[in-house]
Amino acid sequence: MLVLDGLAKTYGQVRALDGCSFTVDRGRMIGFLGPNGAGKTTAMRAIFGLVRLDAGSVTWNGRPVADEDRMRFGYMPEARGLYPKMKAFDQLVYLGTLHGMTRPQAKAAAGRWLETLGLADRADSPVEELSHGNQQRVQLAAALVHEPELLVLDEPFSGLDPLGVETMAGILRDQADRGVAVVFSSHQLDLVEDLCEDVAIIDHGRVVLSGNVDELKDASAYRRLDVEIEDGGEFFRHLRGVVAEETDGDRHRLLVDKGTDVRELLAEAAAAGRIRRFVYTTPSLSDLFREAVSR
Amino acid sequence: MTSLETVRMVAAREFRERGKSRAYLISSAVTLGIILAMVVIPAVLSGRGRTFTVGVLGEGNDPILAAAEALTADDESPTTIERISFDDRDEASTALEEGEVDAVLVDGRELLVTTTGGFGGSDLERLLQQAASTRRIQELLTTGGAAADVVEILTAEALEVVPLRGERGEEAARRGMIAYGGLVLMYIAILSYGAWLLTGVTEEKSNRVVEVLLATMKPWQLLAGKMVGIGLLGILQFVVTLITATVAIRVTNLFDFPEIPVDLLLSMVLWFLLGYGLYSVAYGAAGSLVSRAEDAQTAAFPMTMVAVVGFFVSFRALADPSSASAVVMTFIPPVAPFVVPVRVAFGAIPLWEHAAAVAVTVGFLAVLVRLAGRVYAGALLHYGGRLKFREAFRSAEM
Repeated sequence: MLVLDGLAKTYGQVRALDGCSFTVDRGRMIGFLGPNGAGKTTAMRAIFGLVRLDAGSVTWNGRPVADEDRMRFGYMPEARGLYPKMKAFDQLVYLGTLHGMTRPQAKAAAGRWLETLGLADRADSPVEELSHGNQQRVQLAAALVHEPELLVLDEPFSGLDPLGVETMAGILRDQADRGVAVVFSSHQLDLVEDLCEDVAIIDHGRVVLSGNVDELKDASAYRRLDVEIEDGGEFFRHLRGVVAEETDGDRHRLLVDKGTDVRELLAEAAAAGRIRRFVYTTPSLSDLFREAVSR
Repeated sequence: MTSLETVRMVAAREFRERGKSRAYLISSAVTLGIILAMVVIPAVLSGRGRTFTVGVLGEGNDPILAAAEALTADDESPTTIERISFDDRDEASTALEEGEVDAVLVDGRELLVTTTGGFGGSDLERLLQQAASTRRIQELLTTGGAAADVVEILTAEALEVVPLRGERGEEAARRGMIAYGGLVLMYIAILSYGAWLLTGVTEEKSNRVVEVLLATMKPWQLLAGKMVGIGLLGILQFVVTLITATVAIRVTNLFDFPEIPVDLLLSMVLWFLLGYGLYSVAYGAAGSLVSRAEDAQTAAFPMTMVAVVGFFVSFRALADPSSASAVVMTFIPPVAPFVVPVRVAFGAIPLWEHAAAVAVTVGFLAVLVRLAGRVYAGALLHYGGRLKFREAFRSAEM
């Protein structure tokens, strides 16, 4: 289990981390969300000892992360990079051995990952000759080649086409199922909502919301109402507890107080006109995100 | 995994990947090509039968000149000697000065030359010495003589060489030649292999691979591994070049290869390592400050300036290896790698000074490694514009 506890880091006048805390369990996948500049990359770097923290600790299985632990961590930094002129296979073998594998082990693992990612025929190509998408795949393999127990990926989905996203998502899912603790940052909230059981949302260097996605949604003070009424006009004007609304013709997307009675809402809608759609549900991850970071 | 294993792996990758890169192979081939051309072309040109013009003054010269021609008669390209007779010494000296003759043989005992022969400039001188010795042995055989006479002939120079200018000091000239050659080689090697480290570090930063690497190792391990790997490749290229040059010189017999004294050789190797260490560490730190290859040379400018200045001030040591300035430079670490071997070549450095210079430089290197390691650690994950040394030093994170 990875625990980030009260991480603090100031660069000059900028507070990059300000008491950042969250936990990643083995076998779980956590989406690490936050606006640009919120401190995601700094927090991830801190896991790998790339940041000298002003305060706080990063522990793995209850002990401060040591160099040997990092041998069993996999990292895909935001700043992607491999040696452009080195062959994909050689590169993976090199990174495998740096993580403590023997050469034969590293070779076997590199071959296996290139096979899995559909790059077996490009094993001997220098990375610079691969397409952008394939370079991304090699980068992922680089984080996975040594079969890590913790996988930290900074924006793994950025720049991927829909097929690439699918492959990446599938692999991350597999890793979590194998018992790996997975944490990745992303701005694609829909994707995170589909993929992750847990999220941590960071803003101004501090985790403002974290936990199981469904529980967080349930615990939210708001609910989502998606309603479409023929010639219903602005029926919601009379409603109590509407926090936000978005209207597109007859369609209204409302955010209402959790305490609002559904039957009352339905009755009001029915009174306004013929109902074509009436969906009452917990807020989306995007709603949670917006709410969390606007405070 | 131990630190050294990590360093070894980084070094091995550097050695393997850079070793098979086109840039390395081409630079090695070009270096070898230049060396071979330098040796082979003069050999081919001179192979068409050389002709010397020798002035003769007085008696007893002809047998020596005839013996000289006889000595090379069996060669593929025999040497021919043209003779010009002179009546007095002044006339002969003037002709020698003006280049009408290559040397003047006087009474079969004395050889007038312009200056003491340098590296390869004294072929005629050596040929005539050999011929004169041969002559004297032949005389000895016909007249009958003591063994001591033979020894005397074999160990002493048969002809007394009288240069028009300069002191007679073949040993000093030879050592000077070695020192000069060593100095130039050292300068080229330190600068070019330092530049490899410079661009290698910048490349890792510009293609962002460095962050993945630093997740598994300390910055100093990465820096040390790169230094060792590139250093080994550099030494390999250096050694191959030297061996090729030596073999080529032996095969073509272009000139006598100077025998390099063992003490000098050892000191050159030692100071090459120290010099490479100093400059590569500094170049590595400079390379970490910039994110783009175009900026690397600019970042390395201070180091390059120090090396250039060091190279040129070491010429003063070449001129006078015992001067006060040479002694001072011995203890200035960035300059010492250029200066100390020169002083060793001339035998102009006491052992204690040599030992103290090594100690000072090693101490300086130890401090520099720490400083550079910290700059390197501070700068590596800073993408974007060029960092200043001080900023990088302050912001060291690892």
